[in-house]
Amino acid sequence: MAVCVAVIAKENYPLYIRSVPTENELKFHYMVHTSLDVVDEKISAMGKALVDQRELYLGLLYPTEDYKVYGYVTNSRVKFVMVVDSSNTALRDNEIRSMFRKLHSSYTDVMCNPFYNPGDCIQSRAFDSMVTSMMIQVC
Amino acid sequence: MSRQANRGTESKKMSSELFTLTYGALVTQLCKDYENDEDVNKQLDKMGYNIGVRLIEDFLARSNVGRCHDFRETADVIAKVAFKMYLGITPSITNWSPAGDEFSLILENNPLVDFVELPDNHSSLIYSNLLCGVLRGALEMVQMAVEAKFVQDTLKGDGVTEIRMRFIRRIEDNLPAGEE
Repeated sequence: MAVCVAVIAKENYPLYIRSVPTENELKFHYMVHTSLDVVDEKISAMGKALVDQRELYLGLLYPTEDYKVYGYVTNSRVKFVMVVDSSNTALRDNEIRSMFRKLHSSYTDVMCNPFYNPGDCIQSRAFDSMVTSMMIQVC
Repeated sequence: MSRQANRGTESKKMSSELFTLTYGALVTQLCKDYENDEDVNKQLDKMGYNIGVRLIEDFLARSNVGRCHDFRETADVIAKVAFKMYLGITPSITNWSPAGDEFSLILENNPLVDFVELPDNHSSLIYSNLLCGVLRGALEMVQMAVEAKFVQDTLKGDGVTEIRMRFIRRIEDNLPAGEE
């Protein structure tokens, strides 16, 4: 269902980015990059409220003609960005939310791996296969 | 901590994540300190041995198990009492050799490796080798020389984790062989 999944570190550099191979990869990288501004805006705009409600899901960041970009930010300011095909109308907010939650818990497992150094690119096979399962569910 | 007071009654609860992460930190630090995986494996075994020779006293004090009459009984005690007490798991015992001096402990899930994924450059690292050392050290203190080694490991893509135990001989004198 997702066409691109990205994990962005606190300092706004990518830890992990994957997109469906058939499409133009660079386009997605660009899209994710652009979305970071929106993420920052959202965090600063409702930063206070977010902390209070412990709401990590940022919702739709921006729609383009073909895609929708969703965002999620953890309390440690790690960002998850997901690009989905907007032709897929069956995908509701709740599903996106649960996908992000899955992504978050998988990311937590990666962090707990003693061989992973925080700040490095994510090369975990488990994380990779989890992202793959998210991508092929509908595609 | 009043550990001595309630020894023998109930086992303490602790966070398994803390335990797993502590062990992970230990192994990765060893990997940084030693050049190759063989040395790390050896070091883990040695550390395990030192734990084992102490842990056996704690184990005997808490578990009230008596002397084992044969190796099969020992295997049962290790799997059903010792592993249960210290790791909260009960491995199954299989693959007895015809002579009855070798068996396998099958660990369905190994709490030491909960989050671990071995990176490609550590393919010969035996991550949980500490356990082998513990088993060897503990049994040595009860006059049994054994050899313990991993033959399967979930970290290396096997379905289960298997520790192969081989009985070598009874140690006649009560003094343990010196280990540096």
